[in-house]
Amino acid sequence: MRVRFLLFLLPALLAAQSLKDFEKKVTKFTLANGLTFLVIERHDAPIVSFHTYVDVGSVDDPTGRTGLAHMFEHMAFKGTPTIGTKDWAAEKKALDKVEEIYDMLEAEENKGFRADKKKVDSIKADLNGAIEKAESFVVVNEFDQVVESNGGVGMNADTSEDHTEFFYSLPSNRIELWWLLESERFLNPVFREFYKERDVVREERRMRTESSPVGKLVEVMLSTAFEAHPYKNAPIGWASDIESFRRTEAEAFYKKYYVPSNITIAIAGDVNPADAKKMAEKYFGRIPKGPESPRVRTVEPVQVGEKRAGVASPAQPFLLIGYKRPDQYSADDAALDVLNDILSDGRTGIIYKEMIRDSKIAVGAESIPGFPGGKYPSLFLFFVAPSQGHSIEENEKAIDAIIERMKTQAVDAESLQRVKTKLRASLIRKLDSNSGLASELATYEANYGDWRKLFTELDDYNKVTADDVMRVAKAYLTKDTRTVAYTYAPAKASAAGDAK
Amino acid sequence: MKRTLIAAILLGSLAFGQGTKIPTYKELKYPPMGQVKIPEPVQATLSNGMRVFLLENHELPLISGSVMVRTGNLFDPADKKGLSSIMAEVMRSGGTKAKSGDQLDVELENIAASVESGMDETSASVSFSALKESTDTALAIFKEVLTNPEFRQDKIDLSITQARSGIARRNDEPDGIADRELQRILYGPNTPYGWQVEYTDLANIHREDLQAFYRRYYFPKNMMLEVYGDFNAAEMKDKLEKLFADWKVEQPAVPAFPKVTAPAAPGVYLAEKPDVTQTFFSIGELGGVRSDPDYASLEVAANILGEGFTSRLVKEVRTKLGYAYNIAAVWSAQWDHPGTFRIVGSTKSMTTIETIQAIQTELQKIRMEPVTDKELQDAKDAALNGFVFNFASPAQTLSRAVRYEYYGYPKDFVFTYQKALGAVTKADVLRVAQARFKPENLAIVTVGNPKDFGKQLSTVGKVMPIDLTIPEPKQEIAAGDAASQDRGKALLARAAQAMGGTDKLAAVKDWTRSLSMVMEPSAGGITVKETTRIIGADQFRQDQELPFGKMAVYSDGKTGWLATPQGTMAMPAEILKQARGETFRGLASVLLSSRDTSRTVNAVGQNTVQVSTTDGLSVKIDFDAATGLPASESYQEAGQNGAPSEVMETFSDWRDSGGIKVPFKVVLQQDGKKAGEATVATFQFNTGLKTEDLAKKP
Repeated sequence: MRVRFLLFLLPALLAAQSLKDFEKKVTKFTLANGLTFLVIERHDAPIVSFHTYVDVGSVDDPTGRTGLAHMFEHMAFKGTPTIGTKDWAAEKKALDKVEEIYDMLEAEENKGFRADKKKVDSIKADLNGAIEKAESFVVVNEFDQVVESNGGVGMNADTSEDHTEFFYSLPSNRIELWWLLESERFLNPVFREFYKERDVVREERRMRTESSPVGKLVEVMLSTAFEAHPYKNAPIGWASDIESFRRTEAEAFYKKYYVPSNITIAIAGDVNPADAKKMAEKYFGRIPKGPESPRVRTVEPVQVGEKRAGVASPAQPFLLIGYKRPDQYSADDAALDVLNDILSDGRTGIIYKEMIRDSKIAVGAESIPGFPGGKYPSLFLFFVAPSQGHSIEENEKAIDAIIERMKTQAVDAESLQRVKTKLRASLIRKLDSNSGLASELATYEANYGDWRKLFTELDDYNKVTADDVMRVAKAYLTKDTRTVAYTYAPAKASAAGDAK
Repeated sequence: MKRTLIAAILLGSLAFGQGTKIPTYKELKYPPMGQVKIPEPVQATLSNGMRVFLLENHELPLISGSVMVRTGNLFDPADKKGLSSIMAEVMRSGGTKAKSGDQLDVELENIAASVESGMDETSASVSFSALKESTDTALAIFKEVLTNPEFRQDKIDLSITQARSGIARRNDEPDGIADRELQRILYGPNTPYGWQVEYTDLANIHREDLQAFYRRYYFPKNMMLEVYGDFNAAEMKDKLEKLFADWKVEQPAVPAFPKVTAPAAPGVYLAEKPDVTQTFFSIGELGGVRSDPDYASLEVAANILGEGFTSRLVKEVRTKLGYAYNIAAVWSAQWDHPGTFRIVGSTKSMTTIETIQAIQTELQKIRMEPVTDKELQDAKDAALNGFVFNFASPAQTLSRAVRYEYYGYPKDFVFTYQKALGAVTKADVLRVAQARFKPENLAIVTVGNPKDFGKQLSTVGKVMPIDLTIPEPKQEIAAGDAASQDRGKALLARAAQAMGGTDKLAAVKDWTRSLSMVMEPSAGGITVKETTRIIGADQFRQDQELPFGKMAVYSDGKTGWLATPQGTMAMPAEILKQARGETFRGLASVLLSSRDTSRTVNAVGQNTVQVSTTDGLSVKIDFDAATGLPASESYQEAGQNGAPSEVMETFSDWRDSGGIKVPFKVVLQQDGKKAGEATVATFQFNTGLKTEDLAKKP
């Protein structure tokens, strides 16, 4: 009895211990301009990881300019007036000329059917000439080259619905290089090679969305489930929006959203907090305080009935079912996370056990508690890949039956405790790499105003009862507020065999 | 006043600016790199011969471990490809002698621990991970899984179900296809390095195969165990000694892995995939091993060509041309057999040829001219300055030690490599690029939609098609014995008699059937009008009226055509097979199969007969016990999206047509679900059909 009690308690003690230990390693400070830093000391190896979290995502894309937040992310690697150019003065002039000609092109094209086609072609030729001229001043990819040749690894960035992130790691003796480059890229970015990069982004969309059956299905899921809120647009943007981005639009977007109060930076590894403060003042103190960015005001209206969408695809079938749920600040957030883990975490998750292991009707099946983001009301999503010979319908019925049970039968104590134990252990496992730490702490700080939430949310989980799990299942997993998206085989040009 | 104020502010900010001058990156001076701590794992050999490597790390209350076993999927038998991977999966999921896999799932997850088993090309692993306080529980389960797997049948079935779905899904996402097909071409599709698992392999895999594979390779002397985390190494060594004391299995030494033998197969390959807007390409040839004296130079050369944003391919194809989001070149060396040199990426269909040509140009350039001083310096700096990330976590040192030992590399290989990197010259890069990036050996594999290519793919060379069709599973054909074959023939004879007599059936030269078929909503919900005309054993013609237009199919048994509202095309292989199947299954002829020595007739049930041909057609016929008439025919057919499905036709409403009884109602089922119902309007025999009429295009 006693042993049992101890085992039950140990994980909780461990987490509390981790937080206490951890607080000693973390230093937080905010510059006068509003930019927040977290420094996490870990001196075992002479390396350091950086994670810049910007509170802007594709939800902030202007109307008709879906994908612009992501487009800026690409431009943040293009350099500054001193990095990436052979002659800034001349290059600037050439870049301005490009915009001047592009204005003329748009003016003509905006005439629609009255546009003079010959004139359009001639301006286009001029535009290409101007772009080539501007490119002649470029030192291609110098920003990347400096980071790479200094031993930088893992350099990349990511734009989602809710945020934009930039990250890489360096040997710790070269930390000042990061201070310089990261502050410069957000203080003085130059949007060079904009129209070539636009093509690259268009290719990215072809690769991730258009050529991937799952990519297409997810896009249709979002645009069907959401009618008003910008979660309806995937971060990559719609093809025609991408193809018509203007440099000036991306610059305006940057000015509006890349203000210091939207930026949270975490530095983890072999770093001294006192030095970091000095460096932060020196490099990031230069960025002027900006006005608070506007925020999304559109609230997704209450869904009034089930929606279904099909995607014709020669691929094997996929099924998505998304139920409307509140945002991550809801009091029900922890209970929804626990419900999700009971349904689909590990080999003891109900969905795995019933659909994959026992009835074998699916090869892949899982749930995601908040999709596509968390800052706004989103979806509790189920993703199913039926196994060969088993249909979408059969799998949809199986998910329905499981959900029905979650609403009417309380989850057993052992399963509930197991999920809580796993949540605690997974936190501890997150603490063993610089890049992981920097990413987690920056994200929690930016999302909740306190990085400690990473640890204290375990208390929220611990308070979740079996009744809570049943209650949130009942409250949110309702047919009338769900969207079902699935692939189906297109009508095939096959005569013999299909019909007899 | 105002002016002064502004001046003061300006001055103030100026002073501030001067006090904190911002350098350019070229002006930055760096202190020397911090000291790298390189831990030394404790090594020991247990009394049963298992070697262990232990490394303490007390940062977090965690422990993990893994054995590396000398085996690999290169040891799969040729007729049971995929065996080793299924074995590895079921080793864990199928449980131990004492506990089922499901019980292990619960026990492990209750303590947030895991035990996993995996199979690679040239090694296998069994691993565990746990919170420190659950060390003993996790270790005990780890040991049981490693030494006492039970391979329960239900989990073998599960793995095979999953593997089958994996085959069905292997052409869904285009990015994997190009790499996979290149691999097959470079290593040879009939070698363990290049072959792929098919349905027929899975059908051959049974529990005793898993057990035999396990027994052959999983014994103490054939594995190395590494343990990492929050423990005391001396205590851990004793603990492991005790834990494994009773496991003393011995087996002969495991033979060497097969050699790579495939000759180069250069050329341009195309796998057509109509549902993509990009062409995915993988261009490559066989590469080398890590112990190659030129390994460092080759890595530098490949990096300058195509690794990272600084590389030539990214600068040219992505940044300057805007043709690709993803493009990279990689010298992918293996430990013990030649790896590959590959250039991979994707571009919109329209610029497929331009992109390949740009790649060819860059490849030529790096073979013709020395790289610049700056390129070489940048590439070396990147590798040498980033070298410290080899020591980011002590766990890396531990797994490196085990890997070097396993593949017979010197302990200090990582430092030898560092030294070699530092010594690479421009001449080295040019020399290895000329010797090892050979355009004449390159296989250019493309996956895409050639209708949208801006230029013909043949611009870059003669195009060889890659057929992505997934071979159907070999149907289970019970050969039976003389008795069951005799019973089968008797059942056929009885049915032939019931239909009108063997003589009547034998006199059938041709037949014509018109029907109207209502498909279930799940199968499209449409109504199809169809006329089928057949002459003899080969000539087949089917005309269909569908809501979206007319279709016609003709086959002479070997080739044929398919006419749709969009035009006429040569008959795809899968449809040809369907047509041959329809001809073969025609009741009048299939019931006479006893007369055809190339067919096997075998009773597989009280009232069920299987008829099979030597060239892969097969049907199961159920007979009505009371009347002797055929009640249904069942067979496998490529269903939607190429995945095989089980089709069953159930017959009723028998009527007379010129002395032969035929069914006027046919219910169609697919994978156990009703797909449609056909009502026959007319069924006629021997109307004097002519081949030229059947072959006439609409």
